[in-house]
Amino acid sequence: MYDTHILTDIGCRSVWEHGRKTGYAVNLKINYYRGLPLCCIDQIELVVDGKKVNQEEMYLQHRGREYPYTDILKDDFPTDFYWAFGQLLRVIVRKDGGIEQGIHHVALTLGTRRSYTPTMVSVCEKDLTFA
Amino acid sequence: MKSNNIKLGVSLYSYQDNYYFGKHDLEGCIAAAAGSGAEGFEIFGDAMIPDWPYISDSFVDWWQGIQERYQIQPVCLDHFSDRAMWHNKQLSDDEMYERGVMYLKAAQKLGCKYIRLLHDAHIGTQISPYKLTTPEIAERLLPIAQECDVIMAIECHSPTSIEDPVQQAYLEPADRLGIPYIGLQADFSSYEFCMSTADIELCIHYGCTREVLEHLREKQRKAYFSGKEFSFDEIKGDFEGMLLNEHDKKYLDYSELAYHESVKFVKTVGSYDKLKEYAPKIIYCHGKFYDIDKDGQVDNMDYPRIFKALKEGGYHGFICSEFEGNRRLNLDHWCDEIEYVRKHQKLMRNCLKCDK
Repeated sequence: MYDTHILTDIGCRSVWEHGRKTGYAVNLKINYYRGLPLCCIDQIELVVDGKKVNQEEMYLQHRGREYPYTDILKDDFPTDFYWAFGQLLRVIVRKDGGIEQGIHHVALTLGTRRSYTPTMVSVCEKDLTFA
Repeated sequence: MKSNNIKLGVSLYSYQDNYYFGKHDLEGCIAAAAGSGAEGFEIFGDAMIPDWPYISDSFVDWWQGIQERYQIQPVCLDHFSDRAMWHNKQLSDDEMYERGVMYLKAAQKLGCKYIRLLHDAHIGTQISPYKLTTPEIAERLLPIAQECDVIMAIECHSPTSIEDPVQQAYLEPADRLGIPYIGLQADFSSYEFCMSTADIELCIHYGCTREVLEHLREKQRKAYFSGKEFSFDEIKGDFEGMLLNEHDKKYLDYSELAYHESVKFVKTVGSYDKLKEYAPKIIYCHGKFYDIDKDGQVDNMDYPRIFKALKEGGYHGFICSEFEGNRRLNLDHWCDEIEYVRKHQKLMRNCLKCDK
């Protein structure tokens, strides 16, 4: 659902600290008709220019807080932090040097668990311009 | 005439693309519902309440102001049964019960008279991958529902329907305990008699052939209008002379899950006599639709007969438009949900006026 829209072209850029690139960001939208708790995310996989991003390097920014991606996969993660319907979920990849400014090919695989239908796995890939 | 007891509303779910793509916020969706002539609306807190599952006092103040401004009332909040919260662990029945309490209290705070309870027989049994809210959990929720003065509506959605015996297990405890806080919700999907034109567009998007699908649909329509139950086996031979691609074959074999939503030929049409008989027990209805034709009709459900059965049976309550064609039609183009709902409200108003 919404498969071609889950990887947005909003806010694609390197993130910086003290004049140095320390990572980069993309923004995702949910592949369902409602919001879901972050703990219902089954999988976020990013492949950038053909290279799979290490999940240990991914962080999710949500409502002013940041969570290591691997934390939301744990079986005791809170159930009341909702990724709201239609709202952006910012994914930061922590990587020295960030991403080179310009166009990169990004492939996203997003899996979400929902209540009465099987886990929905959506794939979206596109060329994105990173600032 | 008892039709005055029926009120019309809109499920804001109908406007999901407008919300998802930022064309309308919650107020915009409520304004669209009011603008269509609706007196009430249904909301998915999980989708459109910004801080869900928290409902702040300031949100409630805003919410009440909105009702005054648009002269429209919230009718129903949708409950979901997210059992599979974690990778390797699911909610226990106790935790599922607690989630139910959360939804009931949220509905009370929002002034919704009903919650749509996502019960385990929602789309029949043995279909959902997880155990949803069971009769036992629903029974435990009854005293809380009474305390909140919020009634739990068990939505009977295709391929099941209100008269399906699996639904009775949810109603029995209310009788036994004398707590009448649960009731049947009819979803008009139970009365589809052929594929919708939106289903056809969805399947074509996936690669099926229009000619194959339209033949199937025509046969379904022919069966319905001649008063017979459609049998796929009887027309199976028709497809042997056609050039079927792999998608057509998967569709006709019912083997590809992607087509699941649009497969209609394996179900039977809900009974209008039963709808009339059960009408007094029905507490809420979803006016489901997937498309509107050029004459303003829903051509794969018999709206006049559905309304006749509800009126004659003495149904009183809301019927909310629930447009679900968007996610079938929006794959190739923008789907103008606001226009669809406007036309649907007009159709339902006409059905209410009609004496036949």
